[in-house]
This record gives sequence, C-alpha cells and structure tokens, in this order.
Amino acid sequence: MAPPDMRLDLKSKLASVFFLWVCAFTLDWPVNATLILLAILLRYVVPGFRPTSQRAARSIVAFMSYSTLIVLIVVSLNAVLLPGGDVLLIVGGIGFHESGALFGLRTACRLVLLSLSVLLFFASTPIREFIRFLQGTGFPPQLGLVLLLTLHFLEQLPDRINQIFAAQEARGSPVRANVVSRARAFVSILFPLVLSSISESIDRGQALELRGFLGQGQMPVFENRRSDTSLLTMSLILLSIALIILRILNWLIA
Amino acid sequence: MAHRVILESFSYQYPGQVTPALADISLAVPKGQCCALLGPTSAGKTTLLQSISGILHKHHASGFASGKIVIGDESYAPLPEEIQFPKIAYALQDPYVQISGVRETVLDEIRFTLENLGRWDSSTDDSILSLLRHLGIDHLAERKPTTLSGGETQRVALATILIAEPDVLLLDEPLTALDYVAQDRLSDLFKGIKERSTILFTDTHMEFALAVADVIVVLEKGRMVFSGDRKGLLDHIDSFESILPSHQWKELIRTVKVSQGPEATEAILKAMETI
Repeated sequence: MAPPDMRLDLKSKLASVFFLWVCAFTLDWPVNATLILLAILLRYVVPGFRPTSQRAARSIVAFMSYSTLIVLIVVSLNAVLLPGGDVLLIVGGIGFHESGALFGLRTACRLVLLSLSVLLFFASTPIREFIRFLQGTGFPPQLGLVLLLTLHFLEQLPDRINQIFAAQEARGSPVRANVVSRARAFVSILFPLVLSSISESIDRGQALELRGFLGQGQMPVFENRRSDTSLLTMSLILLSIALIILRILNWLIA
Repeated sequence: MAHRVILESFSYQYPGQVTPALADISLAVPKGQCCALLGPTSAGKTTLLQSISGILHKHHASGFASGKIVIGDESYAPLPEEIQFPKIAYALQDPYVQISGVRETVLDEIRFTLENLGRWDSSTDDSILSLLRHLGIDHLAERKPTTLSGGETQRVALATILIAEPDVLLLDEPLTALDYVAQDRLSDLFKGIKERSTILFTDTHMEFALAVADVIVVLEKGRMVFSGDRKGLLDHIDSFESILPSHQWKELIRTVKVSQGPEATEAILKAMETI
C-alpha cells in the first residue's frame, strides 16, 4: 500500500498556525505545553513542516533552547512577584508562590506556542511560495514586495551584524570580548545598521520595479494542491490528545 | 530593436536642492551604438541614467525637470514618467540589490524577470541558459544567487535584465567588482548586443570606455564638459585629469602622443581595442 501523502499545501499550513494560535489564546497551559511538544514533533514527522534549509533548522533549535530559558525566567519572576496560594519553594529568603508560577506558566506557554507556530511555518515555507500564495489569493503585489523586502532583510540581518562587528574589531574595538562589550557595541552598530538597511531596501525595491515586478506581467499564481482533509484530521487528533492530557492532569491534581 | 537616445537641453533638479543635478545636457546616441558617461563621483551620471529609465520621475515626482528626452520615435517632455522596462532596462550600481533574494537558484532568479513580464514558460529556459553561457556563468545556473562572489553577482545582475531583450540598456558602473577577464568578456558582450540594444553606461575611469564606446560624454558637477568620439577624447586628454584611469595610463598616453605626434591617437585607440 502506498504511504499516505503527508505533504501540506500552504492553506493547510496556515490553518495549522491559526489552529495553534486559537489554542494558545483559549486553552490552559497543560494543553499548550502538550501542543508545543507536538508542534516540535511536527517538524520531524510531517514533511510539509520540515525546514527548507540548514539555517532554518538551526533557528528552530536555537529557538527551543532560548524558549526553555525564557519559560524559566517568566515562571520564576511571576512566582516571586505575584504572591498567592502555597509557597512552593524558599531560596535565600525569597518565596516562590504557586499562583504566580501558574500564571507564569500560562503566559510563557502561550508566548512559546504563538512564536513556535509562526517559526515553524516560515522555516518550512520558501518565501517565493508564500508570496505566490498571497498573490494567488488576491493580495496586491505591493504587499508581496514589502513582505519580500522585509523577509530578505531579516534573512540577511545576522550576516550584516557580523560584518559590522568584524569592521569594528578591525578598528580595535573589543566588541566580542564579553557580554558588556557586545551590549555596548550593539548600540553603536544599531544606527548604521538601520540606515544601511533602509537604504538597501529602497535600492532593492527600485531594482525589483526596474525588472517589471509591479508591471504589466503577472507572476504565476501559486498552484493549489488538491484540498484534503488531512489537516482537519490532524487538528482533531492533536486537540483530542491535548484534552485527554488535561483531564489526566486535572485528575492527578485533584 | 535598438533605439536611438537623444537628450535636448535636459536639466534636472532634485526636490529641496538649490543646484541642478544635471544642467543643459544635450547628447545623441544613434541606435545600436554604445555611449560611455564618464566623470567623477557626484557628476550626475546616475541621475542621467535614471532620467532615461523613468525611475527618477517615479521616485522624485516633485523634482524640477526641463528639456526633452527622445527614445526611438517616442518623445518625452521633459522625461519619461513611468518605468520603461522592458523597452529600457536599467542595472543599478550595486549588483547585490539587483538580486531579488527570494529565488533559490540563478536560473530561477532570471526566470523571475520573465515571470514579471508574463513571458515565462518552460521553453524560455533554453534562452536563459544560452544567455548564461554567453556571459560565461552557465556553471552557476543551479547556485544560490546570494552565495556568489562580487564578479559573479555582477554578471548575474546583468543577465536578469538582458533576458528581457531591451531596446536600450542602461548600466550604472558595470565594471564594479569585475576583474580584467570579466571586463574583456563584458567588452565582447557589448559588441555582441549592440545590434539588439543601444547601450549607455557610466564609469569613473576611461580605459574601458576607450575600448568599447562609440560616443563618450564627460560630465562634471552636472554639466557636460565633453561629448564626442574616442579620438576626440584622446585629443583633449589633458582637460580631463579627474577621469584619467591611473598615473601609468596618463604617462603612457602622453608619451605616445609626444613621441609619435598626432597620428598616435589612432595607434592608441587600436591598442585599446586589442587590450
């Protein structure tokens, strides 16, 4: 028997992002935490969500490690600053409260799920396909142009920052010496970075116009694959799993 | 088909500026010829190309322009108000911005131009590959455009507009980032496409212009200080200190002129063409 077609078209992928956003805003943290784990699993299991490049794959890994840190910070801060409920832990005379910790967990899980869903979408979708999709659904080409320039800018940003850092280092500035040096250097590179980026964006926009981007021709409309029910099925399965876990957790707590 | 390009007493002043960027420029480039716009930085070379391409008015509509620009049989008074692509193709000075950045391969990047024009189909890929071969970059067809070297990017940038087969080709400092081998190739390319396109290009130095240009215009602070052919430029070489290619060139040209007399100009030009 042929394996099932696990590819997803852009509509389905956008719908999954939307689904995760709705869950993030409406459901409690245990469900959202489960959805975060499942979303990470999606990146490995569903071909449609696999990163398009090694760089994109690295960005997901980096996001996961940073988000763990962010969750810990948000939970700790809330547990300390929002008193209420039992005191879970006392460290050096500072109490960590249950209500604050739960609030922190809720907020952090929500933020991570929202960000992860967007990251998964863009890491697994070539910009070209996304813009064609937008044009195919009736968005004006100007929007495509703006989006294209923004995404290209974001893609080039790390390289550009490294170049400016290297230029500063060549002048003897200790920009990579320690965290304080990096922070100080970042302020000094921000201004040239923003100015040069704006200037390049204007030039790139002109170059695109000069190649007829907004002219009489029309970019080929994104080819929609046959519509399928795989997304709906997957969403229902994910939601069911999340709800079951929630029930089990509630039962265990009770 | 190549078009003639004529400017009649053309002047342009950017909004908010007190002095004109271009003042009273009159020049005529017959169809199928190559015109070099020479001059130091801030001479008005880029503004001149932008005026012809139509992008100047589109982005600085409140600038003050006077005079007339004629392209082929169409007359624009004072200048084209819309981008004239693909009739007129304009390559910007920085080749990196010419690359859209959203295409995975060089081949696909060039397809992008044809897609914008509504001309792309699978059969046009042969024309793209043929053009890439002509530019000596066919081996880059499957490479990612953002990973190319400066010289390679320059040629890919050129390919992105040449594929549209423009009647007039405007190139802003096309020699930037090109080594001598690539400059030779560009020179051959110019000779090859002159029947199809009239070419106007800018440069800060004169050696390439002396090798390929039929018409040479020298600008300084927005004013035209010379217009003529290569022989005329060499005859007045001492007047253009700012665009002399280098100390060595300057000495060589003077030595040959002094030692061989006025006939030396022909010899220099012949030598330039063979370099």
